[in-house]
Amino acid sequence: MTGTVPAELRMINDIARQFRHLPPGEAAEAIASHVRRFWDPRMRARLQALADQAAPLDPLAAEAARLVG
Amino acid sequence: MTLLKEPDHGTPRRPGPATVTVEVDGLPVTVPEGTSVLRAAGEAGIGIPKLCATDSLEAFGSCRLCLVEIDGRRGTPASCTTPVTEGMRVATETPRLQRLRRGVMELYISDHPLDCLTCSANGDCELQDMSGAVGLRQVRYGYEGANHLDAPTDTSNPYFDFDASKCIACSRCVRACDEVQGTFALTIEGRGFESKVSPGAGGSFMESECVSCGSCVQACPTATLQEKSVVQLGMPNRTVITTCAYCGVGCSFKAELRGNELVRMVPHKDGGANEGHSCVKGRFAFGYASHPDRKLKPMVRDTIDDEWREVEWDEAIGTVASRMLDIQQRHGAASIGAISSSRCTNEEVFVVQKMVRAAFGNNNIDTCARVCHSPTGYGLKQTFGESAGTQDFKSVAQADVIVVIGANPTDGHPVFASRMKRRLREGAQLIVVDPRRIDLVRSPHIEAAYHLPVRPGTNVAVVNAMSHVAVTEGLVDRDFVAERCEDFDTWATFIAQPEHSPEAVEEITGVPAADLRAAARLYATAGNGAIYYGLGVTEHSQGSTMVMGMANLAMACGNIGRDGVGVNPLRGQNNVQGSCDMGSFPHELPGYRHVSDEAVRGLFEGLWGRTIEKEPGLRIPNMFDAAIDGSFRGLFVHGEDIAQSDPNTQHVFAALRSMELVVVQDLFLNETAKFAHVFLPGASFLEKDGTFTNAERRINRVRSVMPPRSGKHEWEIICDIATAMGYPMSYTHPSEIMDEIASVTPTFTGVSFELLDKLGSVQWPCNENAPAGTPVMHIGEFVRGKGKFVRTEYVPTEERTTRRFPLVLTTGRILSQYNVGAQTRRTGNVAWHPEDVLEVHPHDAEDRGISDGDLVTLASRVGETTLHVRVADRMPVGVVYTTFHHPVTGANVVTTENSDWATNCPEYKVTAVQVSLAQPLVRHATEETYAISGQA
Amino acid sequence: MTTVYVPRDSAARSVGADEVAAAFAEADPSLTIVRNGSRGMLWLEPLVEISSSEGRIGYGSVTPADVPGILAGTAESIGVVDEHPWLASQQRVTFARMGRTDPLSVDDYLANGGMAGLRRARTMTRAEVVAEVTESGLRGRGGAGFPAGIKWKTVMDCPDGLKFVCCNADEGDSGTYADRMVLEGDPFMLIEGMAIAAYAVGATEGYIYIRSEYPDGIATMREAIKRAEPWLDGFNLETRVGAGAYICGEETSMLESLEGKRGMVRAKPPIPAFEGLFGKPTVINNVLTLATVPTILAGGADAYQSLGVERSRGTQVFQLGGNVARGGIVETAFGITLGELVEGYGGGTRTGRPVRAVQVGGPLGAYVPTSQFDLPMDYEAFAKANAMVGHGGIVVFDESVDMAAQARFAFEFCAAESCGKCTPCRVGAVRGVEVIDRIRTGVDRDENLAVLEDLCELMTDGSLCAMGGLTPMPVRSAINHFSEDFEARQP
Repeated sequence: MTGTVPAELRMINDIARQFRHLPPGEAAEAIASHVRRFWDPRMRARLQALADQAAPLDPLAAEAARLVG
Repeated sequence: MTLLKEPDHGTPRRPGPATVTVEVDGLPVTVPEGTSVLRAAGEAGIGIPKLCATDSLEAFGSCRLCLVEIDGRRGTPASCTTPVTEGMRVATETPRLQRLRRGVMELYISDHPLDCLTCSANGDCELQDMSGAVGLRQVRYGYEGANHLDAPTDTSNPYFDFDASKCIACSRCVRACDEVQGTFALTIEGRGFESKVSPGAGGSFMESECVSCGSCVQACPTATLQEKSVVQLGMPNRTVITTCAYCGVGCSFKAELRGNELVRMVPHKDGGANEGHSCVKGRFAFGYASHPDRKLKPMVRDTIDDEWREVEWDEAIGTVASRMLDIQQRHGAASIGAISSSRCTNEEVFVVQKMVRAAFGNNNIDTCARVCHSPTGYGLKQTFGESAGTQDFKSVAQADVIVVIGANPTDGHPVFASRMKRRLREGAQLIVVDPRRIDLVRSPHIEAAYHLPVRPGTNVAVVNAMSHVAVTEGLVDRDFVAERCEDFDTWATFIAQPEHSPEAVEEITGVPAADLRAAARLYATAGNGAIYYGLGVTEHSQGSTMVMGMANLAMACGNIGRDGVGVNPLRGQNNVQGSCDMGSFPHELPGYRHVSDEAVRGLFEGLWGRTIEKEPGLRIPNMFDAAIDGSFRGLFVHGEDIAQSDPNTQHVFAALRSMELVVVQDLFLNETAKFAHVFLPGASFLEKDGTFTNAERRINRVRSVMPPRSGKHEWEIICDIATAMGYPMSYTHPSEIMDEIASVTPTFTGVSFELLDKLGSVQWPCNENAPAGTPVMHIGEFVRGKGKFVRTEYVPTEERTTRRFPLVLTTGRILSQYNVGAQTRRTGNVAWHPEDVLEVHPHDAEDRGISDGDLVTLASRVGETTLHVRVADRMPVGVVYTTFHHPVTGANVVTTENSDWATNCPEYKVTAVQVSLAQPLVRHATEETYAISGQA
Repeated sequence: MTTVYVPRDSAARSVGADEVAAAFAEADPSLTIVRNGSRGMLWLEPLVEISSSEGRIGYGSVTPADVPGILAGTAESIGVVDEHPWLASQQRVTFARMGRTDPLSVDDYLANGGMAGLRRARTMTRAEVVAEVTESGLRGRGGAGFPAGIKWKTVMDCPDGLKFVCCNADEGDSGTYADRMVLEGDPFMLIEGMAIAAYAVGATEGYIYIRSEYPDGIATMREAIKRAEPWLDGFNLETRVGAGAYICGEETSMLESLEGKRGMVRAKPPIPAFEGLFGKPTVINNVLTLATVPTILAGGADAYQSLGVERSRGTQVFQLGGNVARGGIVETAFGITLGELVEGYGGGTRTGRPVRAVQVGGPLGAYVPTSQFDLPMDYEAFAKANAMVGHGGIVVFDESVDMAAQARFAFEFCAAESCGKCTPCRVGAVRGVEVIDRIRTGVDRDENLAVLEDLCELMTDGSLCAMGGLTPMPVRSAINHFSEDFEARQP
């Protein structure tokens, strides 16, 4: 099983790792833009929930989550 | 339509304009330089008798039937081996030539059985034809002389026989295996009169290296090599030209029938993708379409533990519609969705996504490309602007350096591999990047210049290192980059950093730095460098990144925009490209246009009369998560077996069980159907009428050989469901569906069944700018304008080996079985691969006390399975390999939820596993063996 | 210091030369014993030569028992070998050195005119070398008779790049041994010839394809190449060994064999000069052709072409064999008659019975009756008489020969050695044997003679190469000149 890690958490951290080599501002926006383009609204909502609950999000991911709105 | 017999011009067509004029029997004819006299005569309408010549093979000059007389030349040269020269005057029928030809036939027939009337080649035998053509009336040598009439017949191959008593030693089969297929399995053994065709070192066909592609059977002018189906059923009498439904090469075939019974499939010479060649699957493994396992009636059941109940169409469709609507009522519009098929026609896929968008009212539509080439779609869209390969297959004939990354073309795309091998034999160089030592690394007359045995999961580090070499050693095509690309400088600075050098990544990738440097230089300095790649690139957590990394490398070296170069995804399924083109994506409408684009949505809304959702929907893995969550409850699965092919089987099972309604439309009751409530019988490719799009973007016609055995075309079923759900959808003919596609898709505006009938096939984009299609893309400018360099940092996969799981499992496919095996396991192909085996390196095997043939347990953190082991050293130490063709093994039980960051394409290629001895050399409980239907 | 010459040539060894040499060594350890090449007077082998003030004195058919007598000076000699009429009347150009030297002694070679050709060639341009060879009139001595210079020019004119020089040492014709003698008796001469060819056409690699049945030739050649290496100047020369196939004497089959494939005939075009070994421009010449090149370069084209008649210039190395009293090498200018060779040099048959037929040019050559003994040895004259000079083999038969059996043998030989690629040869040869058997046993004799003639026409006109193409030549010559042997008889 996937264990207890929610899919959105795993996925957003995966994405964030790909953009670490960019300057932070650019990175967060790139991640947010990706999420907006490809994630179903329910998944985006769950991402917000995770961010609100201070789940172990990669810092870049956390910032991106804020940007996604 | 009667049986189509394509003309055989004797020798291959030569390229170039027709500039040499000769006179054959007084008739002038103009042909390209290098054309043989034989072919020139044919083009003048004069058929010179021939037996050892056929136009798929180079001239051989052995039968001595095609002799002619040429003004000013002594003797009677063979017209097949004589090239035309300007002003040549040829006589093809003189008394002397006629005597010589009769003499040749007299010799042939003096050593040949005289059973024409009961021979399986009666009516389709060139020896018969030539005897007639030369007017043979007697064999003055009699029939008591030395002969081969009691030579045995080899029936070892499941699909064709080799009757040596009828062999005329013309060597066409040997030459076909050499020149066309490139396997070199056949030879002539012995010399003189004792010459005989031998598969390998004197064994049977099955024991030899023969891959059963059938090119020898096609080439054989007599009954010596004959399809068993023809021996049993007799000669076919009508032809339907259609397209193979196995892999992404998309070979064109002549389906040859008697009435509605398919006798044999013969490759079509005019097929744009295959030009007369085939592999074992398309050529012979079509028996599944008439297998007893085919379910031909709709079935329903209330729960998945109930027995299936056969019902009429009305009840089945009604059940689907009412239950789907009911779910939406209770859980919202987005609680249902569909998975479209990459094996079904463009027309069928289009109506499925139309059903989802217009009838379901959401964007929950995805396709199997999710699990194979979705990173290609993402990566090439980002960099080049189009989600498809850049070349056609013919392009490989112009390549100077060929790079094969994460693909095994001789197994997965054999007909394309034959083209590639031909080019390699001509002298093009080969670089293979793969953990495995695939066959291509060293095969007859081919040796890779470099095999870079990359550790699974480190592809991006390797491609970055290659780009690093190009940039730091001044090998970049400056002009190309300056004129055609953007963001080069940022990228170049990034890639030139020391951490991207071959030396810096040697440790993690396992690729010796010297080899990597040399390979990079070879590619960068090639006249034409071409990259071909497969799922070994995409099915990784950095699959999309790798695609972009390859695009970066190709752009930097100027290898885009002409023949012989490019970035070429070897797409797996027969219509996965088409399925993607048709908008089977939760975020894209047909033609790869994002759902958020107002103008595009407006176009479809106008056409369909429904509002289209503007937010992206769920991808397949997201559907599973949402199902377990409870927010996704109804799924329509079209021609896809997610329970076998998707990773992390337990998770998939749990998701399927969580849903209220699972509908499966397929040919057989597959693994997914175990969780279904409604089963709708599908139609095999022999029953379909529509189009497939192959890996070259080539749209090919699929034509019905017989009406749908279930009584309905698959697109009709979809239309019925949509209509029953309140969105009336109907067409009178699938061509109307293509017309609709063309009307709203800029890359398809010129496509129609009429055009396809006229041209045979066409590669999109096909529109006003390119009325006959587009073989090579990004000529002059990229689809997005400038090619974009994207910085691709290597990020190791989260999937790490541990003490508990110290090995890495990677997966792949083989020649004789296809994908989940639903089709090929139900054909004679089981003779070759009756079970999935685990390949383990000798060191790893020895460490574990495992020997060849033992039963082992393969375990990962998500599951385990047992299978037999083959100890082989083509895997590196630490890496094991298996296939996923047999559900009883269920290899995906061990693959995990890791996936590509951008597309969620599962990381099938990297799973941390442990292998341990389960039982030495004991056969485990046999799976249901599928009885093979009478071969047809 | 007495020097004793005992030939190392295979023919001499086959009649005991090694034992004779051992006997000399044992009789007097202080002797200098040189294992020289053979003089080609095969009926006199082992021919022992003793150095003396008058020249080298020869003793014929020596056995170990003769050794004491020779050393004591009491044995009967044949006189000074060089003055022997057999040798003295010949015009030895290619075989000038044969038998005089230790074949593997570089000093002997240089002292006897060796390297003069190569040295001169290296002072000329490539085109000049080719022109010299062309003007000499040298034609392919393997049998085809194609002007060597024209072949070389074709290869020379190909663009620079990888090119090859190949020597066809597959000498498969029955009754021929001149190539073997060169390999064993004067190997440096062949190497020099190939080096000149390589220089002229721009080739850097060369192969000598030697039939497997010449082990001494192979060993000697390999050693000679090692010793010659210093003066090859970057020309990489190697030997390759065949494996028992007559057809690999056909140039394209030889190329296939060199490439490691089955020895099957290639269709032409393209000719090997354009696309030969591994698809590259290739010169292929017979041993004798290449072995004659050094002397042409050393002595000039004029000297060579001044010998001979009509379009057959220079000398031919004839090989007398079969039922002949005096078998051996006769090198002389073209123009000598067949009769002079067989009766004059050869002395007629060994059995003493009258000569009935002579097969000239190998197993695919015509059987020539004594009535045509006035034919001059000349490519065109022979061709006009439906016969063939070929590689110069001359095999003598006496009156006991059954010419129908010989015709049958022609087909049998073809069937045994056919590569099997083309139908007229592969099947025709087998049927030819059967048809002749029926003729000889009187079955439908007239019809079968007609079938035989049709088959001969088919094989001549329709075969892919000379194997099938020339098999009818001996058959037709037997029927035409010895038709009485084809009368019905009991099997």
